[in-house]
Amino acid sequence: MPTARPASARAGGRAAQAAFGGAVGRGGRRIAVALAVGAFAAAWAWAAHALWRSSVPAGLNPPHLHASRYFSASFLSRSSSFERFQDIDGLLATLTLLGVLSLYARRGHRLMGESAAGRIGTGMLLGMLGFALVWLAEFPFGLAAVWWQRRHHISHQGYVTWALDSFLSLGASFLFVSLALLVAMGLAGVLRRWWWAVAAPAFVGLALLSTFLSIYLIPNVGPLRNRAIAADVAALARAEDVPGTKVVVQKVARYTTAPNAESVGFGPTRRVILWDTLLNGRFSRKQVDFVAAHELGHIAHHHQLKRVGWLALFLIPASALIALLTRRRGGLARPEAVPVALLVYVALQLAALPLWNVVSRREETEADWSALKATREPATGRALFERLATTSLDDPAPPAWSYVLYADHPTLMQRIAIVEAFARRPADYNPRSR
Amino acid sequence: MDAHPVRLILSDDLKRNRLTVFFRLLLAIPHFIWLAVWGVGALLVAVANWIATLIGGRSPRLLHIFLASYIKYATQFYGYFYLAANPYPPFDGRAGYPVDVTIEPPQSQRRWTVALRGILALPALLLFWTLAGSPGFGTRRRAGATSYTLYGGGLLHTVALVGWFASLARGMLSRGLRDAAAYALSYGAQVWAYVFLLTDRYPNSDPLLALPELPARDHPIGLAVRDDLRRSRLTVFFRLPLAFPHLVWLTLWAVLALIAAVANWLSTLLAGRSPAALQRFLTRFLRYSVHVYAFLYLTANPFPGFVGVPGSYPVEAVIAQRREQSRLKVAFRIVLALPALLIGSAYSTLMTSAAIVGWFAALATGRMPRGLRNASALALRYTAQTSAYLLLLGDAYPYSGPYSLAAPSTDPPAAEAAPALG
Repeated sequence: MPTARPASARAGGRAAQAAFGGAVGRGGRRIAVALAVGAFAAAWAWAAHALWRSSVPAGLNPPHLHASRYFSASFLSRSSSFERFQDIDGLLATLTLLGVLSLYARRGHRLMGESAAGRIGTGMLLGMLGFALVWLAEFPFGLAAVWWQRRHHISHQGYVTWALDSFLSLGASFLFVSLALLVAMGLAGVLRRWWWAVAAPAFVGLALLSTFLSIYLIPNVGPLRNRAIAADVAALARAEDVPGTKVVVQKVARYTTAPNAESVGFGPTRRVILWDTLLNGRFSRKQVDFVAAHELGHIAHHHQLKRVGWLALFLIPASALIALLTRRRGGLARPEAVPVALLVYVALQLAALPLWNVVSRREETEADWSALKATREPATGRALFERLATTSLDDPAPPAWSYVLYADHPTLMQRIAIVEAFARRPADYNPRSR
Repeated sequence: MDAHPVRLILSDDLKRNRLTVFFRLLLAIPHFIWLAVWGVGALLVAVANWIATLIGGRSPRLLHIFLASYIKYATQFYGYFYLAANPYPPFDGRAGYPVDVTIEPPQSQRRWTVALRGILALPALLLFWTLAGSPGFGTRRRAGATSYTLYGGGLLHTVALVGWFASLARGMLSRGLRDAAAYALSYGAQVWAYVFLLTDRYPNSDPLLALPELPARDHPIGLAVRDDLRRSRLTVFFRLPLAFPHLVWLTLWAVLALIAAVANWLSTLLAGRSPAALQRFLTRFLRYSVHVYAFLYLTANPFPGFVGVPGSYPVEAVIAQRREQSRLKVAFRIVLALPALLIGSAYSTLMTSAAIVGWFAALATGRMPRGLRNASALALRYTAQTSAYLLLLGDAYPYSGPYSLAAPSTDPPAAEAAPALG
């Protein structure tokens, strides 16, 4: 029995062992990756399910209503024409955005020569220039929208003012993209391929901070001077279990006639913001109360925080995908990868928009339901939605494609249907109880 | 390039008579009256000259002589009034005054530039206003209350104000102040010669070409310019929003720099020289701020880094190593810096005007005109010198006039830390 094998046999054995070991290693790694992906998907699904929960009764079955029962034929025609133009204008702007960013992803790195700022600074410049080109390309569509809104007396902002405001607001976008790239490229320089695993939570943290501080970033906000409405809102806040929520007024009448309101912040910074276009006498006190109750509903159901949660669910896979797709340009640590990252991010955002709209519409429905429960005024709700349609020229029943792409609120007919459904539920509706 | 047909002649010896300086405003009254009378005549003749030049393609000789004499007289008078010269000027604009201009005889002019002269002159008039605009005093009534606003005027007025005190104190005007005034006067003469159709050569705002002779100086704070004048139209168009991240970062850095400057003041007062660490920090801050402003005001093209690395930018403050400083000058630094801050504010306005005009020019041609770039660089250099003086990076007073770019000795690059960002 030979005690030693020939050298060639030894080498072959080592190669076979290495190949076997490599195969086992690769197989093990694949299993580990599959397990990790599976665990992540399960956690993602669980989180999405938790965020999806709503207090609106599952078996509500709101009635199917015809817009012609609530609105005149001339209004329906006018609002449909108004929205159609805006929708097509928006669609063209979106297509232009994608076209410009696709081109920029291919050629944007040529602009690196305009920078003396090193790796991250050059990345910031490329990021900002991407937004700048998009702004230029979308400018005519924005101008067309202003023209259309002015023509329909929805906006009275001048063209020059709009253009200047729009140009200067680019500065805020540039700050945002610079900060995001500072975080992402800084981490990519250290963690290489795995930057996204730290960057995504960092972005979520920044989003949380921005949500918390948002009231301080909104311009032209002042106290609500109307004491009667302030007292009503305080009572509604108690009814919706968010006592002490402050209500403020934002002055926007210089730019628009459209009425609106929003809720911002959480914890000590939570606020209901009413636009002054809502308080100029076109809406009754009860209608304003209903709007405030709707916004309080958002606060009561923690929609601000839930949105950050949804953002996290979007950002984690999105940043991983960006990391994957920028590898051909050397990864996000390198500035030449920034135009590609920009394209991927915007494309993902656009792809997720219909899903985001579904989530948003669900939250709006929950806020409407909350307002109905707090005010117990379905008649006011119905009148409010009818009034909102006429003052904003909102199409009560838009076409399906526009609804899917752009509607982050239920249509006005859907909202009226929810009101009707509430009115038919004697358990929840008792007008004398208020 | 050929010399400009309108050139400044300077034979002033910087000596000033305290008596005539003190009463300069009152002594100028007869000249003001004569200038106004001649000015009305010049205006009428200018209209006739416009028509004649449009038809003939050349300014008629008599009209040319009349208008050239008016510009020569106005330059001499304003040279006297703004302390750029000492003797009382003649009333006829005759040659030989210490601050004078020479204007070449009429040449043929392109008719389309003659026809559109009023429009074409607008950018030059904007710059002229920045250099020689009058100070003003405005009142505004709002809700029953009256508010008052004081407009400081252009560079010429500011250097004259500072020069008035300096001349009274020393009996002479510093060369820097005189040359800054001469630069404004030279540009003004070129602008009015262009407006009055004495030439179709556009006014040149380059301070390095404004004076017959530039002094060479070795100021411890200099400005190295390696810019090739090329500009990216895209980054020019978006220059202001592109600078936002830098401006935010600069503001945050400035808060720390302010604290460091106070500490530096105390330390320098006690030790007679800045501590090395503070000097390095403040030097880095100043260099970065010059990078940012050079980018914002189109003095340079590329997007700058965020940490002020030496040698990283085509327009850069060159800051000499720390030296011993007079404790007395250190103690009263803020008071001493006041005149420089005044002139610095006038230079900042010049920088803004140059950026506005340069923005359009760079968008149209893809290049920054050399004259505008150099005007901007002069303003940037002066503001850098003022900042360095305030931050106690040296005790050399800011030099307000243009000078040839003799770079001072620099701090060694090895002393700078490696960049953490950018």
